[in-house]
Amino acid sequence: MRQFFPVDDLARDERFVQTNMAERMKDARTTVDVDAATAKSRASSNRLTPDRHDASDGARSLMHGIMVGEIQALEGAGRTAHDFEAGDGSGDTIPFELKLDMARQAWDEARHVEISVKLSDWMGTELGQFAENTVLFEAACSNDPILRLAGVNRALEGLAIDVFTQMKEFGNLAGDPYLEFCEDWMLADEVTHVKMGSDWLRKVTENDPDRRKKALEFQQVVDKLFSFGGARGETDESPIGLARRFRELAGFSDDEVDTISMMDQEALDERKEAIRAFHAQADAQPTPA
Amino acid sequence: MGNSETETQTTVRAPFTPWDRRELPGLFDVEETARRVGNYKWTEMKLFEALGGWIATVPELDVKMRFGTHCYHHSWHADIWHKRLPELREMKPERLTAPANEAMERFIEAMTEPEAAELTIEKLVGVYRVLIPRFIGAYTYHRNNASEITDAPTVRFINFILQDEYDDWRDGEMLLQSLITTPDHVRRAAEHQAKLEAIMVEAGGITGPGSIGTSVSTTEGGA
Amino acid sequence: MAAVSTAKITVTPSEFHFVKYEAQDIVDVVTELAEMLGVANPIHVIVDESTPLSKLAAEADGTSSDSTLTLRAESGALENTKRFTHFSADAARGSLGRTLLRAKDRLRSDYAEAPDDFDLSLAENAAWDTYCAGRLDRMGVKLNKQRWLYNYRNRFGFSDDGDAAFERLWSADDLSWTELIAGP
Ligand SMILES: [Fe+2]
Ligand SMILES: [Fe+2]
Repeated sequence: MRQFFPVDDLARDERFVQTNMAERMKDARTTVDVDAATAKSRASSNRLTPDRHDASDGARSLMHGIMVGEIQALEGAGRTAHDFEAGDGSGDTIPFELKLDMARQAWDEARHVEISVKLSDWMGTELGQFAENTVLFEAACSNDPILRLAGVNRALEGLAIDVFTQMKEFGNLAGDPYLEFCEDWMLADEVTHVKMGSDWLRKVTENDPDRRKKALEFQQVVDKLFSFGGARGETDESPIGLARRFRELAGFSDDEVDTISMMDQEALDERKEAIRAFHAQADAQPTPA
Repeated sequence: MGNSETETQTTVRAPFTPWDRRELPGLFDVEETARRVGNYKWTEMKLFEALGGWIATVPELDVKMRFGTHCYHHSWHADIWHKRLPELREMKPERLTAPANEAMERFIEAMTEPEAAELTIEKLVGVYRVLIPRFIGAYTYHRNNASEITDAPTVRFINFILQDEYDDWRDGEMLLQSLITTPDHVRRAAEHQAKLEAIMVEAGGITGPGSIGTSVSTTEGGA
Repeated sequence: MAAVSTAKITVTPSEFHFVKYEAQDIVDVVTELAEMLGVANPIHVIVDESTPLSKLAAEADGTSSDSTLTLRAESGALENTKRFTHFSADAARGSLGRTLLRAKDRLRSDYAEAPDDFDLSLAENAAWDTYCAGRLDRMGVKLNKQRWLYNYRNRFGFSDDGDAAFERLWSADDLSWTELIAGP
């Protein structure tokens, strides 16, 4: 078995079709009003709540996204337990206890896959029904274990906190007896995983400020990528909110959450700009007879 | 307080209850126990690393999730042995965290060699038909021959760990039974098992020769 | 199967820029559905390709056999969810089939009271979707019943009474508007 495993080789059965962020961003359709003057019958809020007309389909699609995200989180945690020798944390090594935490996380993520498969079934979704975005595992492919902690445990698992909070609220409002219960349990695990990332990042880079800086920069890049062009953010234009309270529990400072919120807004603005450009280009094409 | 009847009762009792049949003697001294525990830790570690690494390489969702779950079980075992080593006078646990011998190292290399998505049977065979049965053997031998009084901690840990090993072995064996459905699968499983088993025999088991003692009479006694 | 339809079917836009759809593929699906459901009215399908959402709406500009039926679909309703921006005939069959059944219901006099699709409450929408999906399923269009049950439960609650009401709608073939919105 190779020491590092590339995202393109992730093993899936034939029900699953994979895509990536670049492909997703080529899709010029949008649910946000890029220009208020041309606003059509779009919902005033994009937040995923039961009062949206497409609430159950939106929840099903998000649940499937969670499921494949859990599969990749499982794979990523397993790879980090495998890819680095136990050592003092310098170079290519990670502390033995960090390896143990990664194995523990693999078990948690395996349970999350089990939970989300069952929930998907409950919601009427088939496995592989939606394209799988492999962006999550990509963040787990760095050759520097500390970058993985920043990208996966802090950025990706941080996003998981936001998503589970949103879904928990959805289940609560809709009165779904399983959804809220399950999301609450997964949320507890994810807070633990983010905290693991926060604690190990601090510990391993204690005497290496450059490495810490690089890791936090990488986290920001991944955070921005994970805001999916504004899919996560504090305004109602984003389907998924930013779960400040649970992020606090997981070791994020107020400043860090403010920065993520700002980056979410930037990502949304950039996405709107790209869509405006695409619209202008489409408008310039000759109208078919 | 009390009446005359209780006052006449004695509190003197035998230190061992009649049903406590634990014995003082054991086969392993502190040094030998530490050596074995070091071998356990090294091998459990290699096993949880392999299972963790393989998760991304298997397309079958049920196997993927089992690997994730078992990865944690074996990391917990490695952690238990890691913490036990300093209690056995080994203050640098890394020193004894080692394979029993060179053949054992080769065994792990051969076991972790399969990577391709179509080799799930080989991955499962290595773990559940060769390595885990060897763990069950070595742990059972150790538990049954350790002093139940002087080394109660190791005996207790082995009992917990053995429960995991049995459960995980059953999971893995049943996955294999469900995946092996053609004569070609049977051949693949058997050939891979034979290849790994041969190296394991060379190694003599998880802790080397004597992993499960020896049933052959020697001139020095025994039998 | 019903008699061969003579429906005239048009699709707007005729060319797509945001998604990789062909108007002819949509015409083919609707032709097949019209035949299956015995609809001979002219049908106009309007696709909003600028949004990935999947709202659907049906209109009938009268109640006669030559009234035009307008089916509105956001592009997500016709999409292959495994390959975004690509058309899926299965998805289109499910979405446009339900919408065409709605339009056909609107031709009935006992649906005169039914509000426009954009004015329906979420519960009315869910009830009508269930009624349409159940009929379509019996005609052999591949649907996931659990998906519709989940949709219904989100609007009418997660209860045995709600599930029983879902079953009634799912297996019904001839409901008036009043019967349709009677609820659990
Ligand atoms: Fe998770
Ligand atoms: Fe997690």
